[in-house]
Amino acid sequence: MALQVSIILAGLALAAGALASTPGRLLDFTPAERQSILQHGPWPPPPARDPGNALHGRPEALALGQMLFFDKRLSADGQMACASCHLPSKAFADGLARSLGKEGLDRNAPSLWNAVHERWQGWDGAADSLWSQAIRPLIDPREMGASPGHVARVIASDPQLSCRWQRLFGATPASQDSDATALVQAGKAIGAFNASLVSGPTPFDTFREALARGDTRTAARYPLSAQRGLRLFVGRGQCNVCHVGPMFSNGEFGDIGVPFFVRPGQVDPGRHGGITALLASPFNLLSRWSDGPPEAALKTRHVELQHRNFGEFKVPSLRNVANTAPYMHDGQIATLRDVVRHYSELNMERLHADGESILQPLRLTPGESADLETFLRTLSDPGAQKWKPAKLAPCQPASTPAMSTAP
Amino acid sequence: MSAWLRLALASMTLAGAAQAATPAGPCGADLPDKGRQTLQSGTTTVVWVPSRWPIPVGQHFSLTVQVCAPEGQNAPQVLRVDADMPLHKHGMNYRTTLKDLGQGRTRAEGLMFHMPGRWRVMVDLAGSPQNLRLSRELDVP
Repeated sequence: MALQVSIILAGLALAAGALASTPGRLLDFTPAERQSILQHGPWPPPPARDPGNALHGRPEALALGQMLFFDKRLSADGQMACASCHLPSKAFADGLARSLGKEGLDRNAPSLWNAVHERWQGWDGAADSLWSQAIRPLIDPREMGASPGHVARVIASDPQLSCRWQRLFGATPASQDSDATALVQAGKAIGAFNASLVSGPTPFDTFREALARGDTRTAARYPLSAQRGLRLFVGRGQCNVCHVGPMFSNGEFGDIGVPFFVRPGQVDPGRHGGITALLASPFNLLSRWSDGPPEAALKTRHVELQHRNFGEFKVPSLRNVANTAPYMHDGQIATLRDVVRHYSELNMERLHADGESILQPLRLTPGESADLETFLRTLSDPGAQKWKPAKLAPCQPASTPAMSTAP
Repeated sequence: MSAWLRLALASMTLAGAAQAATPAGPCGADLPDKGRQTLQSGTTTVVWVPSRWPIPVGQHFSLTVQVCAPEGQNAPQVLRVDADMPLHKHGMNYRTTLKDLGQGRTRAEGLMFHMPGRWRVMVDLAGSPQNLRLSRELDVP
């Protein structure tokens, strides 16, 4: 009996070993397909800067920014932090269709993963930097509802925040020239922290790297369904026309026939409203608050308000897309499968007359839809869900060396 | 008219002609070769060179535009540089700004091709009785 069990167990072990070493199959991608696939990497791309932010990349700023990001006291009623809508466990989004501030908001909280690689922040691109985007919800009465003075007082009244602030800026918020200065610097510290949120490689990246170096054995381990989905993505689907490059987004805006009514009688102006808000913002890259050279503001200087911008929303990055349901600017599409269905059954009547003219319903078969979804799911970094804030050593006053630890 | 005034007027005319006249030799001979495009309309030649080649998708770039006219004639002024995707029926999301570099040369800044495909670059020149548009299509992978 013991011998029979041993034989069975040995046989099972051999089978398992055989499966593990059985090579997968690699589709015969054409040279054009291969070139398109390779354009979606490498990952990570060259480091990006939060433009106009002198605190970018400074460990002390990152540490202060992390503390501020999670601090509910920054809101007027002490109930909301940045992390309330950008939860690490939910890919730095919140899993809601429309976020909740002091009242229900109009839009879905975008993930902060890789936001530093975005050209514009927000579904409407109303912010041209991470730091100016961080300021907006701080003072928006529907969100954190704080005032610049409140932000300064919260920081000044907390020994650790104040200590870190002094080490960074050489002064307490109370002693600086204005509350607006404290608000901007807080925004820049939070922006510096947000800029650190770059996700790691994904199963697609492993496949892409293998394809690039001609390692067909490794490439063949990429699920066949995902390969078929990728072929659709860069081929008949033309998804890579907008979801282009390593970020799987061109960083610009488009109309894809998603209804943009906020509520009966009110529409979301999308990019049109975003450009208007951007150019009116006292914190854009053309403002006195920007630390950047003139060329950092080139995009803001040249952006053009056009009629077709009405109802356009940002092309989101598809990295970690499987973790950021629900979808679209207001979360009206619940699942990834439904997103694929949206493009498969695209309602051409909903497209703006002067919008993008290449969109056509894809008319996918059930198998093709499943393949495309499988591919999209391989764009998630397995390690992203495990993100934890850095452990910060207590700040010592400026007479002693800094002890804070960057993540 | 005093001799002084005649001399002053002659100097201004020469100076003006020097600003509008293009350098001798083939049009834009000193511009880089990478991405160079030469367009012709009648006796007017336009050479443009992008600041990046190949032109990347989703990144800003500039165009240096050299306009040349036959010797002795002033090169037309560049009024506008723009681009669109005729098949997609949309243009860029950005409006270019023009910087006069002198001697018929202009730099257009702020261009971005935000998706791959066929783009049409258009250069509008001042002309009489009507302005002149020269365009060239190029495929951006």
